[in-house]
Amino acid sequence: MARRTKIHVGLEIGTSKTCLVVGEVKADSAVKILGIGETKSAGVRKGEIFDYSQTRACLKDALAKAEDASDVEIGSVFLSVTGSHITGVNNRGTFRLPDGDPVVAPEHVEEARTIARDVHIPQDHVYLHPIIRNYWLDGLEHSTSPVGLFGKTVEADFHIVHGIGNRIQNSIKLVREMPLEVDDIVFAPIATAQMALDREQRERGALVIDIGGGTTDYALYLGGVITASGCIPVGGDHVTNDIHLVTGLPFSKAERLKITEGDASADPVRSVGSARLNDDRGFAEVEVSRSVLNEVIRQRLEETLRLVQQRLPQGSVEAIGAGIYLTGGTSLMRGFSELAFDVFGRDIYRPELPEISGIQASFKDPRYATAIGLIRYAQILETERAAPPGVIGKIGRLFWPFGR
Amino acid sequence: MIPYSRDPQQVIPANSVKIIGLGGAGANMLERIALDGMEGAELLALNTDVRTLGTCLAKEKIQLGVNLTKGLGAGGDPELGHQAVLEAEDAIRASMKGRRIVFLCTGLGGGTGSGAAPIVTRIAREEGAFVVVFATMPFAFEGKRRRDQAETSLNELAVLSNALVTFDNNRMGELVLAKQGIHEAFVAADHMISESIKAVIRLVVRPGLINVGLDDLMSALRTNRSRCLFGSGIADGKDRAVKALRNALASPLLDQGSLLKDAQTVLVHLCGGEDLTLFEIELLMQRLQKFVPEHAHVLFGAAVDPAMGEALSLTLISALPEDSLAMAPRESLTRSSNDSPLLDPSQGFTPPPSKPAAAPAPVPEPPPIQETVSPRQDPLPAPAAAVEDLALEVAPAPAKPDPAPVSRLRRAAAAVIPSLFDDDRPFAEPEIPAKPSPKPESQPEPEPVSQAEIPSAAQAEPEPAPEPEPQPEPVVSKAVLPQVEDSSDEDEILDIEETVVTVAEFVSKAQDEEEAPQAAADPYGAHEDDPTPIEDEDYEIPDLESSGFTPIPRKRPPGVAPWTASKGPKALSIGVSASSTPATPPVDPVKEEAAAAPSAPEPEVPKLKLGIKSAASSASELGLDSAPRGRFEGENPNVVDGEDLDLPPFLRKKK
Repeated sequence: MARRTKIHVGLEIGTSKTCLVVGEVKADSAVKILGIGETKSAGVRKGEIFDYSQTRACLKDALAKAEDASDVEIGSVFLSVTGSHITGVNNRGTFRLPDGDPVVAPEHVEEARTIARDVHIPQDHVYLHPIIRNYWLDGLEHSTSPVGLFGKTVEADFHIVHGIGNRIQNSIKLVREMPLEVDDIVFAPIATAQMALDREQRERGALVIDIGGGTTDYALYLGGVITASGCIPVGGDHVTNDIHLVTGLPFSKAERLKITEGDASADPVRSVGSARLNDDRGFAEVEVSRSVLNEVIRQRLEETLRLVQQRLPQGSVEAIGAGIYLTGGTSLMRGFSELAFDVFGRDIYRPELPEISGIQASFKDPRYATAIGLIRYAQILETERAAPPGVIGKIGRLFWPFGR
Repeated sequence: MIPYSRDPQQVIPANSVKIIGLGGAGANMLERIALDGMEGAELLALNTDVRTLGTCLAKEKIQLGVNLTKGLGAGGDPELGHQAVLEAEDAIRASMKGRRIVFLCTGLGGGTGSGAAPIVTRIAREEGAFVVVFATMPFAFEGKRRRDQAETSLNELAVLSNALVTFDNNRMGELVLAKQGIHEAFVAADHMISESIKAVIRLVVRPGLINVGLDDLMSALRTNRSRCLFGSGIADGKDRAVKALRNALASPLLDQGSLLKDAQTVLVHLCGGEDLTLFEIELLMQRLQKFVPEHAHVLFGAAVDPAMGEALSLTLISALPEDSLAMAPRESLTRSSNDSPLLDPSQGFTPPPSKPAAAPAPVPEPPPIQETVSPRQDPLPAPAAAVEDLALEVAPAPAKPDPAPVSRLRRAAAAVIPSLFDDDRPFAEPEIPAKPSPKPESQPEPEPVSQAEIPSAAQAEPEPAPEPEPQPEPVVSKAVLPQVEDSSDEDEILDIEETVVTVAEFVSKAQDEEEAPQAAADPYGAHEDDPTPIEDEDYEIPDLESSGFTPIPRKRPPGVAPWTASKGPKALSIGVSASSTPATPPVDPVKEEAAAAPSAPEPEVPKLKLGIKSAASSASELGLDSAPRGRFEGENPNVVDGEDLDLPPFLRKKK
């Protein structure tokens, strides 16, 4: 199938930065990053917009930078959204085949899916992703649609991500004012997982934790399908805020101290002495005992990871085979891997980026993981949409078993 | 780098180390040492019992008393053991030729161990070796007779050996869990001894980055009438510095480090692999400071030994003056039938000037000590003092019930002293010349007097049990006072609190008698007892005040240590957070607020949970507590599980 090169743009309006990644998906489905436009965010807190006009200004700036860097006129974007209001739930729809109808027909499956998607969600919530996890036919698991097989009961297992409609609408409105089209809205950890995990890791079970400026997003994959996802409204900002509250330093210095001196590993050897910040003339202007600084950081991050752990389904951490993949800016914190290991007791990895070319420096950085993941998401979605229904669709579904 | 050769006296080649197992217990220890693997060192087994000798793993074996016991054991008779070893003296002497350091492992109380150990020690000394004796003391249930034999032998060993480390079998229970098998208990005890030997070998054999040698070892152990404190810990992995320290302090000889509080000299030796970092050392020493008084002389040594790999080993060696030991809580607890008034041959070393008054008191105390607190390390008598020592040995003789050991002791001492004169090794340092002079006067008098007086005093006393405790205290409280000062300087909250609270209690209200046993049960009972004489003896009070005691009680309410939680629960959270948060002065008010605030909203948590749906009510709830929220000020509370995530966990969890 001859497909032309397609350019996708991922937009992430994060708490600490607004960033657009322009990626080129070639005919052979290789991805090349053409450019990145990034601005420090203003007006976003805990992943949600609270100052509309400021955020708009930031987005405009980032857009201009991205167009400049990639030399592409951006018309539409994939938008990642996050926020504590977005949650993922699992639901199963069961459809019993009518009597005298031994073979599963497409409409039966469709019926099961409809039932599965019919989750009770709060009134103001909307569906973001109804993701098909797998099908069950008479209690037997099928990863693809069981159409044409003999059976009595068809079940469809869905992972449904939903959030408050108005907030999501506002994000979309902001993008449309640029003016840009929104191709799709993606829950941030799902986008990140596209980048961080390959098929094998999803099969063996993996947890992606994207700990950013204002939120900690996670997505758990077990047996190749998404099992849990969600967002905890705690991030690097909280660490800075904690340092500010405990030590009384102003935010800017607390932030610098966090980045240059902080350590989350709880290794007492790294908590000896005091941490200093030098001013322009090289004099120490700030001095904080390392033990306090590190303890503040560790307690915050440990609590955050424990919250993630609590939200995962029972026993799922033990089922993680491949490991835990940490991305996001706060994951750059020294000793964060040790901390994550202490909490989860699983292998801790930083995701490797597969088959992406372009500006190496940018996508090695975990801060861009979500935006790059959007490109991957777009690519997979593109494959699915372009493919004619039938055989290829099924193959595509193998790689991207998301219902559409 | 300029190569230079180290002082040959400080560095001892590993192959000139000999480890001797004497008697049945010694053979067991030797076996453990062999199993644990001791590279380089030669093992020698000495025994009268040819059967146990035959099964011993040691490369070298010498049968004692071939003609005397004919291959049987000494039958628990030290005299027999003594004769038997004399028979094999030449063989032993030959085997020890040229050895620079000899470790003698033996179990005292039996025939071979008690009888032969002093002779073997003497032979080793005569051959020019530095002798470290590791001796186990018999179980209490083995009876008074064996205990006496062990004590007698121990006293001789204290004079003869360079260093004496004793392990009381009664403390074996501390090494293993109660439900573990008896073999495990013995293995653990032997293992501890083998670890100790290894640590000493590491100490003296390996040239360190910061070297400590035999001279340092000697000065760490030099206190008159002392008990050797020995702790060795090894750990690896994360946090290994702290773990090693914990392991070292867990040694039963150290009593969780509480005995170190009275130490005057502490030798600390660290040995780690190539990844030993300065930070670790710093951290470890910081922790150790809590256990060691500030004025103590800390002899620090560090060595890098690639063979250690990832591990870090820590060795603590110190000596505790016997008189302060009298106050150690365990000793007073484990008082038992034994009250052999056997006195250390080295006694009579300048008694403190204040002692005559208190002299009758401490003496009744030693008997209980002697059964548990066997380790009694004696400094090498200096050449100058040695002659007088010799003469003085006669004096204590009448005090001893059993003249035989004394005569043997004299024999042994007489034999070893000439060798001390031409001993040019660094550890045979001359003693302070002032010491010999008071000796002749004090020596003969206090002993018989006290001996005679104790029983009468004890009988006359209506309450014999509490009585001995308060009296020796002047001595100890002196030793403790400087510590209080030190720790208050250092802001070591825990340490302050122990003393402060107890002192405050004692000063404010009169202590009644029944508190004494409780205090003794307390691991820190020694300190709790201390302040009693404040009331009894007036001259102590100015001392207390001058040493900064009075201001401390005022400090007490703000900083109450966790263990006093029951006493002052309200002050707890604030106190801890205030004292442990860092010290940038302008910050403090904020911290205080922040620390205080989370404690305030706590009872309201359920309300917060309920009110979260309606923004107005939750806002009003938040308005009540003024916890600063930094950049999240004025936002809806970010409540998960009843905790506002926007507040720092550091402050929230303080409670």
